[in-house]
Order: sequence, then structure tokens, then C-alpha cells
Amino acid sequence: MAYSSNAQRVVITGLSIVSPLGNSLAELTKNVFSGISGIKRLDTPFVDQMDCKIAAQAQFNPEDYFTKHTYSMLDRTSQIALHTSIEAIKDAHLTIDDALKPRMGIYLGTGMGGAQSVEDGYVRLFKDGASRLKPFTVLMGMNNAAASAIALEHKLTGPNQTFSTACSSSAVAIGEASRLIRHGYADVMLAGGTEALLTFGTMKAWEALRTLAEEDPSDIGASCKPFSVNRTGLVLGEGAAMLVLESYEHAVARGAKIYAEVAGYGAANDCNHITQPSVNGQSATMQAALNDANLSANAIQYINAHGTGTKLNDITETNSIKKVFGSHAHELSVSSTKSMHGHLMGAAGALEAVITTLAVHSNTLPPTINLAHPDPECDLDYVPNHSKTLPKLEYAMSNSFAFGGTGAALILKKLN
Amino acid sequence: MTTNDKVNPSIEEVSNALAKMIADKMEIDIATILPESNLQELGLDSLDTFDIIFSAEDYFKIKVPNDQVNITTLHDVAILVHQLILTQKP
Repeated sequence: MAYSSNAQRVVITGLSIVSPLGNSLAELTKNVFSGISGIKRLDTPFVDQMDCKIAAQAQFNPEDYFTKHTYSMLDRTSQIALHTSIEAIKDAHLTIDDALKPRMGIYLGTGMGGAQSVEDGYVRLFKDGASRLKPFTVLMGMNNAAASAIALEHKLTGPNQTFSTACSSSAVAIGEASRLIRHGYADVMLAGGTEALLTFGTMKAWEALRTLAEEDPSDIGASCKPFSVNRTGLVLGEGAAMLVLESYEHAVARGAKIYAEVAGYGAANDCNHITQPSVNGQSATMQAALNDANLSANAIQYINAHGTGTKLNDITETNSIKKVFGSHAHELSVSSTKSMHGHLMGAAGALEAVITTLAVHSNTLPPTINLAHPDPECDLDYVPNHSKTLPKLEYAMSNSFAFGGTGAALILKKLN
Repeated sequence: MTTNDKVNPSIEEVSNALAKMIADKMEIDIATILPESNLQELGLDSLDTFDIIFSAEDYFKIKVPNDQVNITTLHDVAILVHQLILTQKP
């Protein structure tokens, strides 16, 4: 489906992150384009009880940003999301006046919501034998806690929704938010994702799935190796990423800086297996985004891959790209930045959308690091180990796929 | 705060312990919290008040019945907690 004639164009005017590669755009830009890894030894009291002792943690201390009264009733998931919402609005130089409030909302993605708060409650109840839970347990654990804290903070009375489709949650949130603006239901949307699931119980549950990467004995930072024949799996990460989406008219009227345009969004469902991706599902997702942008496949020059670093995903995504793009698949570039920032689950799509936006904005493609031994079944240009410049970068795609089958692809365009 | 180790705390001691909990939670000067202080005026909403009662339960090893809701001032909480300490003493 192409744009209708009266559809609004949607642009990105603000960005913010809390991530394993830093909590500012400057740090993220420096690290992600220099191939710096944020994967480290897991810094937590329960590390000795884990088989998997590596993770991509974000360095975020709530006391640096909030009063105790505020942060003590927010799960870490909500703390980092709220922080990125404040910083994204600052980055957009956006004033939220009374006229804007009903025309602005928040769409957020998260996989596990307030995982630590739920776990703390269970520890108190089942392990410590307590008969009562903290009064804030429900409010900290519920999946929409972060989005609601953000709406309350900025007094946004427009749409407030939370999407939970596992690893594609925040790509879905961004795509759906862009449609709200495109079809006139909102002028400005905060859209992004948040995840803080590096808890004992959640990490143990992930261990049981046997998809986590082994620690690289020579370099922990090199433990995630997407598209590499010696890959061992994904590395869990945490963080939040937020975008300010705005109608082009609204952005231009207030003289906003524009990073890129959200030119298309596609979503499709795999219906293959609860964990195993399929070429049909992934290619349908990418094709839906191309159709939405009314764009031929040849226009895409860069794909920020889902690229988890599992054999099944790497090969399926490669074959899906070949199916959608045909011979052009060997001309475009693909990279997995998860090799550096790990897998942020419900926040992955948003962080990768931010990185893809920065790529389009700066004509630079971030690398797939740790790619010394390419898998023969993965034979595209994965921007191995070093970033590369692409002076005429105009269109880029960001892929997100998920356990459960929900795929989402975003197409970002440089605004001329 | 850990737990109270005094067997029969006076109502003043209970009130002081509660004031310390409120000061810590709300990050306000304990000197500004008086027995007659209205909790709402100190910045506590109903959930904050439940949270203080929850902390008091842990600290004094008591259980506040679910139907206790008539609380306006710090003194109201102190009376409630003090009575429960006396009646629920092991």
C-alpha cells in the first residue's frame, strides 16, 4: 500500500539512548562506528551461579537523574525509559505546550516489562516466606509501567500504548507510532523500547533455551559473532532507546533539526515455530516495508540486520534478504550491531533504529565486529569489522524478528 | 532500616521511627516532620502511605489488617502501629 495523497510524512527529530555502548548519542556514535564492544563480564552478585557469565549491561545509576521518591517506585526498565524520554525531547528541542499535549503520545516496546520487580516479589514471597508484597509491586512490574511513567512526566494525553512482541517489540512501537502520525491521529510521538532483564531468574530462563553465546576466552568483548562460522549464540543486553517522531509539517513549522524520515514500516508473522524463524516470514516482513514505502528493493543500500548471532537466524536472514532483494542482495550492505551492543530484546529494535538513523544521517555504515571467519552460508557484505562510508546513503532498513514470530522492518530515508 | 529490637517501644519511639522512614522515602528533613503533620501535605499520596505502613510492618514485625485506612497524620499511623505492636506481641 502506498501513501494516500493526504498522508503526513513522518520524520525523526530527537534521539536518546541508555545502552551498553553509552548513554549519549556522542558515545554511541563513537563506539558503534569504531567497532567497540559493550559486552563484558556480568557485573552482578549472582554471577557465580550463572553458566553464562557475560552480558551487555548499561551503566545507569538512577540516583544521578531522579529523586529517591521517583526512582524507588519505578523498575529499572521504567527508569531508563523515562530518562531517555526526557533526553529525546531535549534533543528535539521540543516544547510540549497545552496545544500539543493531546496531539502527542507514547508508543513503547518491552519484552519482559518490570522483570526485576516481579522477581523481587517472588523472592520475598516464596523464598523469604513473607506474607505481603510491596504496595508498588504491580505498578512496577506491569508491562505498561514505563510508557505510563513517561506520559505522566510529560503530561501527554494522546495515545499511550505498550507493545510486547518479544525482540521486535520496539520496532513495532516505532512503526505503529509512525502510522498514527501518518494518518493524522497525532502530530508528535515518543516511540521506542526498554528492557532490563538481566535478573537472576530471567537470565536462568534464557540459559535454559541454550541460545546464549559462550564466553570468548581470548576476548569477552568478542563473544557475539553474527554471520561467523564460529558463532556460539546471542548475548543478552539491557537498555532503552527513544525517538521523537513528528509530522514533517510540524517539524518544519517549528524549525526542527531532522535526522531522517520514517519512509516505511512492515510487519508480518512467521507462523512457523515458536522460536525458529522462516524465510517466508522474514521476507514477507521486509517486502511489507518496501510496499509501505512504495519503494523498489533496489533502493535499499543498507540493512541493519536482526543478526542475533545464532546459526539459524544468521542463515535464515541472509536467505530472506536474497529472496527479497534478488541480485541486489550482493550490492547492498548488511551489518549486525548486536555484535557490539548485544541483544536488547524489547529495546533492540529501537536501539538499532537509532543506530540506523545515525548511519543515514552520517553516511556511515556500522560494522559487524568479530567477523574473522565468515560462515560460507552467509555470503553477503556484512561490513566486516570496520565501518564504511557510503556518501550517497539514502535508504536503509532495520530488521527485527522475534520469538513468537512477529517480524517488523523499518525503512529510514535521508531527507533531502 | 533493619528491624526494631526493642520489646515495648513507646508511642514516641514508634513515631520517631516512622518519621525517619518518611524522611528517607521522601528525601525531606526529618526536623520538618511532626506528629501532627498531615501526610498528604508532606507529599505522600495513598500509595506512599501504604508503602510506609509496609515498611513499618517489616520493621516492627507486625501485620496491619487490610481494612485500616483512616489515616491523615503521622500520629494516626503511630497510634495504629503502636496498638498492633502491643496486641501482636509474640
